[in-house]
Amino acid sequence: MPATAVIDVPTSELEETFRNAEEHFGHVPNFVKVLANNPTFCKSLTDFMIQALGEGRVDWAFKELVILKTLRATGAYYSYGAHEKLAADLGNSPEKIGDTNNSLWVNSDQFSDGEKAVLAYVEQIAEDPNDVGDEIWGSLLEHWDNGQLLELSAVITTFINIGRMGDTLGVSDPILFSKLVG
Amino acid sequence: MARLPYIEPADADPVTKQVYDDAEARFEMVLNIFKITGNAPEIAEKMWQIYFDILQEGPSLSWPDKELLILKSTKMGDCLYCVTQHEVVSSRLGVSKEKQQDIVGVEYRKSEHYTPAEVAILDLCAHVVLDPEGIPAPVWAQVKKHYDDAQIIEIVATIGAYLQVSKFGDALGVQLEEVWYGHEPVLFAVEAPGSKASQHHLHEFMAKEPVA
Repeated sequence: MPATAVIDVPTSELEETFRNAEEHFGHVPNFVKVLANNPTFCKSLTDFMIQALGEGRVDWAFKELVILKTLRATGAYYSYGAHEKLAADLGNSPEKIGDTNNSLWVNSDQFSDGEKAVLAYVEQIAEDPNDVGDEIWGSLLEHWDNGQLLELSAVITTFINIGRMGDTLGVSDPILFSKLVG
Repeated sequence: MARLPYIEPADADPVTKQVYDDAEARFEMVLNIFKITGNAPEIAEKMWQIYFDILQEGPSLSWPDKELLILKSTKMGDCLYCVTQHEVVSSRLGVSKEKQQDIVGVEYRKSEHYTPAEVAILDLCAHVVLDPEGIPAPVWAQVKKHYDDAQIIEIVATIGAYLQVSKFGDALGVQLEEVWYGHEPVLFAVEAPGSKASQHHLHEFMAKEPVA
């Protein structure tokens, strides 16, 4: 049971937020229903999640692998299964998803050099974001433009946040996108 | 040096410019961490609303309480950028230097500067940063004794958001603005950063001369 109440029926203040969540995810995730205890934060965090979870400057299918790597590297459990499923629904093979684990990606033939550079960046941020060295950043710059690197940095750190919040509040969302069930 | 260019207000697109205007109205300047998000305006717009929501009184939690959580979570993450700025913000909101110092480690638990309610959320904060799976039942009991559900969401959202932005800024090498040069560190004077890279950043910052 979550640490707070789960709000199934939104107040008038949150009707639009719940409607937007339902439109984007196919249903209102439990995470949003828990956030609804605080309408201000429910609105801003839901808006941000909707923005983060979709097509962007970086292909969504790869962003899902970045999210999986981030959750694993930071020991987060919230929505891991949902993102694993989403990664598959967006076209990632089981082999590629599996190779995001531990250091398997380093020698995997599933990933491009650009993708490997991002996975190294995730691991470094999880270990010590103050110590992202020239080698990691140089390899990122070879494959990604400034806007993409900003987006990737935002996705990684957003899911450090979401993973921590979900785990702390005891939220379970086995499926995030019911309209994308593959 | 930052890893990506800072997008200055004069070069910002309309979406980013609006974010900058909002930031300047709230914080009297456009910080470098805002300027770096100008590289992807669609992200800046949604991301910064969360921080505008945090950095104010309420809606459910006092601003000084949120500052304590920001100091605790970002100190544990060795974020010089966040800790430096929020030492100053906390002071402006009435959090004494002595109270700030006692936030390091578990000193706050026996400090005369902290109420039982503040101790409860700092204990929760430490667990969220280190291992949310290991939050003990007595920690939750203390938090729930003093705070309602709306406040708990705000507490956890504040901790999560500052874990996010501190790692975001540090990974991208966002630098403290000149206005902070000459600031005497409070928390990092009690306990140096654990990360060697962060120790280096602190050393470099301490060598900067205040800008008139």
